Amino acid sequence: MGILGAGPVTQAIHLPSLARLRDILEVRHIMDVDPAVAESVAARVGARFSTSTEELLADPAVEIVAICSPHQFHAVQVIAACRAGKKAVLCEKPFAMNGEEAAAIAAVSAETGVPIVVGAMHTFDPGWLAAEAAWGSLPEQVHTVRSSIVLPPNPRFEDFATEIVGRGPAAPSAAGKASGPDSAAVKAMLTGGVMGLAIHDLPLVRRFAPDFRDVEVLYAQTVLPFGYVISLRAGAVTIELRAAMNGIWEPSWTFEAIGDDASLSIDFTPSYVHAGSATARIRTAASTTVLGPFGHNGYEGEWRKLAEIANGTGTAPRPETLIHDLEFALAIADAAAACVDAGNAAYEEASA
Amino acid sequence: MSTPLLVQAGPDAERAGTVGAVIASLPVSFAPADGGPDVVALAGTAGWAAAATEAVRSGVRGVVVVDPVAEDPAALAAAAAGAGTAVVLDQTWASNPILAESQAAVRTAIADALADAVLLDSVAWGVPGTDPEVLLTRHLGTVLAVGVELKDLRVIQRNSNGYTVIGSLPGGAPAALQGITTSSLPATATVSVLTSTGRADITLPDASAGWPAEVRSVTAAGATTFPTTYESAHRHSWRRLRAAVDSGAPEADLERFAALTELVGQLHDSPRSPHQPH
Repeated sequence: MGILGAGPVTQAIHLPSLARLRDILEVRHIMDVDPAVAESVAARVGARFSTSTEELLADPAVEIVAICSPHQFHAVQVIAACRAGKKAVLCEKPFAMNGEEAAAIAAVSAETGVPIVVGAMHTFDPGWLAAEAAWGSLPEQVHTVRSSIVLPPNPRFEDFATEIVGRGPAAPSAAGKASGPDSAAVKAMLTGGVMGLAIHDLPLVRRFAPDFRDVEVLYAQTVLPFGYVISLRAGAVTIELRAAMNGIWEPSWTFEAIGDDASLSIDFTPSYVHAGSATARIRTAASTTVLGPFGHNGYEGEWRKLAEIANGTGTAPRPETLIHDLEFALAIADAAAACVDAGNAAYEEASA
Repeated sequence: MSTPLLVQAGPDAERAGTVGAVIASLPVSFAPADGGPDVVALAGTAGWAAAATEAVRSGVRGVVVVDPVAEDPAALAAAAAGAGTAVVLDQTWASNPILAESQAAVRTAIADALADAVLLDSVAWGVPGTDPEVLLTRHLGTVLAVGVELKDLRVIQRNSNGYTVIGSLPGGAPAALQGITTSSLPATATVSVLTSTGRADITLPDASAGWPAEVRSVTAAGATTFPTTYESAHRHSWRRLRAAVDSGAPEADLERFAALTELVGQLHDSPRSPHQPH
């Protein structure tokens, strides 16, 4: 393994996950633009360190590359890792920030044959996978999907998982600036909320929204200090997205898909800590089937999957699946931001 | 010992309010009427306000209306006041005893959460085929009974599977009300108030049995689950009626329902607004 980017997510999520998988994966190289962080994090796992992508990709000891850098670097680093002839690439979500980048990645993956996995951890959660195996015809009848995320600030769970080095100062809250029709701050929070938080569940949402290209965002609003209320339709399916990252100590992360006669409800465990898998419930009027919890979470699941792919014993996701997931997220983020402009136009008209 | 009030319920009221079973659980207060009733139970389907007014004019001492749809109760209120007749509305979730004025600790916890709210997220569940407006009336009545003051309400989407209504709380935090139909879940309502450091959650059960409501509060100090009350909204409504008949003090149900009806009326033709600036 080589890891590009050694920030809090790498330190608190990926390295603890990999520490549980030492029999199948070994971290050999850590890269971060901050040399002190790179050296410190690499030392934890006995790996080499560097400050450049090229140096890590040129390291013959690295067979699998994990891209955990800031979003804007993902696409170019995925492409470079594919061209470096690695066995597999894991890219944190989102794996691109626009359709052109996604298409370029798909083309390079096809050309080089290097499989790509996007770190949408809930799609690898054993609770989700068990539900998927058990839900039968549920997707055909689902008319409503809800994703609700209530989380404490990340450092609370980072500190339960590891000892962070190089943590930057807390980002100024866009929320504080979001009073009044300050469209830039509101749009930034909505876009960040969709691409940074909702995106964890959007691949799950898309399983129940076959007309995922037919997205219409009906309402989008921010929640203080960080979060969103977004109402949308994808084809005939109603989708409601709720999130609040407040000062609460108790996390809650639920996903629901509801049809006339059956429904699915999943309670996910918090990120960062290894608290086992999600618990899924498939309900009808006559029964409730409980699936899970199982012993590992989706992060560990994605690493297991990556190892299987690199070993040739597992099948990589189809690139078009990853692209469609990204297109879905981008469409929602763009339309949510456009709602702000539409709302402000109405506000100005009403104020005139 | 008090004399049981004699109760008469039509088939629709019996079906909607399980009247026979409920009054059987209050045998000192009520008994089925063979002849002229003291109290009548009416189904709250369209025209209930006129039917209740007629019942008041017939001289009964009390009227219970089960699951009323949005209607102007002004004429009924005037008739009831004139005749000294007690009128109680048995609302699916709003009449749950956990929301009674006597539940001071619950009401304080909810009020504290509302004062610091960053988001209100509420879902009402109904069986397929439920008229979205009926579900929305039940839902709004519930949110109001919780003590929530809603502003700038508007319908974002509405179809046979439910609705989404968006508004805001007095402090500007968004309030999202969603109605969903399915047969896979009981007809419950949830009201979640997220605050800057915690949350309060109220889960109100289907009124057809004595499943308890659940109220849970999370603050920086920990989580509190309030004592459960195994009494249905129906039974609590009948107990309120008996108390009102005995005391002669009118319940405020019709006054509150007038506000609910006005709110539902405002939503009928509300334009869709994709984003409301703070």
